[in-house]
Amino acid sequence: MPLLNEFSMPEFHIDGEPVEFEPGEKIISAALRCGKVIPHYCYHPGMSVVATCRMCLVDVTDLGNGHPAPKLQTACSMDAAEGMKIETLNQKVEEGRKLVNEFLLVNHPLDCPICDQSGECALQDYAFEYGSGKSEMDYSKRVSGWRDIGTFVALERNRCIQCSRCDRFTREITGTNEFGMFNRGHELTVDTYADRPMTNKFQGNMADICPVGAITEKEFRFKRRVWKLKKNHSICTGCSTGCNVTIEHDRNEIFRLKPHENQSVNKWWLCDEGRLTYRMMNERKTRIHQPLGRVDGKLEGISWNEAYGAIAERVSEMSPLPQEVLALTDTHASNEELFLLQKLLKDIFSTENIFCPLPNWEQSESDFFINTLITSDKTPNRAGALALKIKGDAKTAKLKKAVESDPKVVFVLGNPFEAESEIQEQLKRAQLVVHLGIFHNSWSEIADVVLPGQYYSEKDGTFTNKNQRVQATEIAVQALRRTRPEWQIIAELSKALGRENTFASSAQVFNAMTQEVKAFKGLSYENLGGLGSVLTKKTRDSGMKVVKAQI
Amino acid sequence: MLEETLVLFKNIRNTKYDKSLAAYKKSGGYKSLKKVFGMKPEDVVQEVKESGIRGRGGAGFPTGLKWSFMAKGTGKPSYLVANADESEPGTCKDRELMLKDPHLFLEGMMIGCYAVGCHHGYIYVRGEFFPSIKILNAAVDELYADGLLGPDPLGSGFNLDLTIHTGAGAYICGEESALLDSLEGKRGQPRVKPPFPAVSGFNGCPTSVNNVETLACMPFIFSEGGVDAFKSFGPQNNSGTHLVSLSGHVNRPGVYELRMDVNMKDIIYDIGGGIRNGKKLKGVIPGGSSSPVMKADEVDVLYNFDDLAKIGAMMGSAAIMVFDEDTDIVKLLHRITRFYAHESCGQCTPCREGTQWTKQIVRDFLSGNGSEEKLKRLDRVGGNMLGTSLCALGDAAAMPIQSFVNKFPEEFRKYYATA
Repeated sequence: MPLLNEFSMPEFHIDGEPVEFEPGEKIISAALRCGKVIPHYCYHPGMSVVATCRMCLVDVTDLGNGHPAPKLQTACSMDAAEGMKIETLNQKVEEGRKLVNEFLLVNHPLDCPICDQSGECALQDYAFEYGSGKSEMDYSKRVSGWRDIGTFVALERNRCIQCSRCDRFTREITGTNEFGMFNRGHELTVDTYADRPMTNKFQGNMADICPVGAITEKEFRFKRRVWKLKKNHSICTGCSTGCNVTIEHDRNEIFRLKPHENQSVNKWWLCDEGRLTYRMMNERKTRIHQPLGRVDGKLEGISWNEAYGAIAERVSEMSPLPQEVLALTDTHASNEELFLLQKLLKDIFSTENIFCPLPNWEQSESDFFINTLITSDKTPNRAGALALKIKGDAKTAKLKKAVESDPKVVFVLGNPFEAESEIQEQLKRAQLVVHLGIFHNSWSEIADVVLPGQYYSEKDGTFTNKNQRVQATEIAVQALRRTRPEWQIIAELSKALGRENTFASSAQVFNAMTQEVKAFKGLSYENLGGLGSVLTKKTRDSGMKVVKAQI
Repeated sequence: MLEETLVLFKNIRNTKYDKSLAAYKKSGGYKSLKKVFGMKPEDVVQEVKESGIRGRGGAGFPTGLKWSFMAKGTGKPSYLVANADESEPGTCKDRELMLKDPHLFLEGMMIGCYAVGCHHGYIYVRGEFFPSIKILNAAVDELYADGLLGPDPLGSGFNLDLTIHTGAGAYICGEESALLDSLEGKRGQPRVKPPFPAVSGFNGCPTSVNNVETLACMPFIFSEGGVDAFKSFGPQNNSGTHLVSLSGHVNRPGVYELRMDVNMKDIIYDIGGGIRNGKKLKGVIPGGSSSPVMKADEVDVLYNFDDLAKIGAMMGSAAIMVFDEDTDIVKLLHRITRFYAHESCGQCTPCREGTQWTKQIVRDFLSGNGSEEKLKRLDRVGGNMLGTSLCALGDAAAMPIQSFVNKFPEEFRKYYATA
């Protein structure tokens, strides 16, 4: 008999292999956690158990008391018990799955060739895996028709398998209750109440959790077959929550963002606004495509070396005093970029004149977790700027003083203070304005040198979310040919200005930051992993206001 | 000559009885309630256990045991809900009780409420039972006026309210968890079990759902010598009298109160007066439309839970539907499958798709498109519904299909042989 540790978790057996479970856990949950395959449609870990699809049938050969269960049991509704023995591969289970699958397909239109879910459809996958491959149904199929339920998702009810995930989503996750099940029996179908359009801000999730092609995203429909998409893990930069996403792209074009499960950030969800940020990733018209320099009052294309050379030349001509140098940044920049810019100012110009906009923002409070995902702070790295002690706002005296004291050299990263035209008016008079940015904006208009950066999907970096969690993004697509990631630009600029450094990757920058910045101590780029890590020393955000969420 | 045993129908068979509270009290009513109020609730449950009464709604689960399962010490109120959503085809016994002797049922309900510690009982009445609803409402009003309901009835210190709730016309709401969902104002759909209603039922509180007839037995059980008398009405584990709804091709259809040790043949030929027009018996559906069919040569059996279960039939809600030699079995099955396809709630896959599909296959036979292959398919699809659905409705729809196909295959063959 094995020695039992007092703290060891209880075990049960699936196909002869031991699986640990937490008391009260369902069989399917423990099984999926341990990498076992149990097909299912209606079960979703974030929602209540309804046990209606009947696909997760398993054979309980021993209930833990030596007796078998009288018939096949649904793994989603049965509690795991110590000593329980479960078989998922025997003939009885196979037959059970086959018959459920047959029932599901009798009224399914099987329009896979024109269905957008094809390739990521649970019904399709399980029908191939467990189905019999033929149908004895020779009557005309049920027709419920499509419904226009709003701008974000399309509803094609003929494909519906009545798993009720979408119904439970609006009841249990968003609490908006605008969507539900109608009619009964064979005519059971889904729709919105009173013919109204959907109202919640998280409709894209309904397309994600729909196991078939009944609910699909209008934004993505008919754009690309899903098996062509390549996937990269990243962070949604639409607001300061930092939801984990998967960027799905093909041939250097991004097609959609899907939520990536992270229990400490966004669980399984992503808001619709976040999903739409993919549009900016494909934006080309307003992008800065190459370094630009002002020649006779007009911006003209120059090479990177020319740009760095010109900046170094002007700076050495002017040799500005510390108070004559100013850097402005927005909080869209990654931790590494902010850190390097701060370092550049400190090392070369011995100044701490670096400012970013830190407006007040609202965090919503709600009984429904999902409502807390959307914040009014639409920048991804406010907490990072705070942790680096980059201060300031349009109204702070320090910034005012720095702007009004006629600085000679100004570095602008991104698009800070875009609404404060008086700051721009004032800084126009500076002798050298360097703009590092992705898009053309009012700063690039007044800049003397413009250095083109890269968008989130094109570079890697780390962002600190509103809960002080540092998370990393991956390079998903190839960047424009003559752009460079901002951290590299700042590192090269620093080199051009006479300060040697050895940063070859953003990981190196991050690890240098963990050495030099107190708040980041103890973290390492390698350990961020997929889930991120929380800052050891939290910074207080005085701009946050907690408000009641409006549904 | 087989005769009725009058316990529940004692008043109803009295032609002068006018179902008022006064008349009910005159016949000895509300004495048992007074006696129960003098006992401890645990003892009441124990006594019900001893009487051996099994639920009359169809499943035949021992009532005392059900009440003893009620979760205690949860800090939540307990509820007793009377299931008066009588909608099993062929069954009409609860309607008789509610129409003709509402106080018998209400007294039983109050005893039940006391036993499970429920201060607010609900009566979920089938929406189509307009006269029953009216009569029950009037009877409850009488009780409030008399002080038997409300605060401190009969000086017991046990506050009790009763609410009558009407259903909206769904067979599935006779399933206890669907009934509770409906009572809460949701779609009437069966819930996943466990948790059972005794742990988490109405509004998440411990709840017991009992059939009208079961509750109507309580006044007798708690009358003088009631438990022993009740046990003597039937064989072991099948105690008490029960109401049998006899319908179909018999000379005297109706609801009869019978002991549990009566032969089914005698019910048909003696109580029911034999087959109409002197025809021969073809078969019997013994316990409401969801029970497997029995052939004419199988009916010589005691009509109670255990003896019927032994031969693979079931007593269910004790509704005997008799059909004679001229009956078209396929049409009969078509009617049954149509019923289940219409009444399936649709939430779980096998029942939603299976009930509709089998209905279509049976219709094929009627329209002359039957074949041997389809007969096999009907049996297979029906069998696939059995034991795989969430609640018992899938089984209820599957059992008649399989039994009809296996016991009367020649009837189906007749259809496509001549076509």
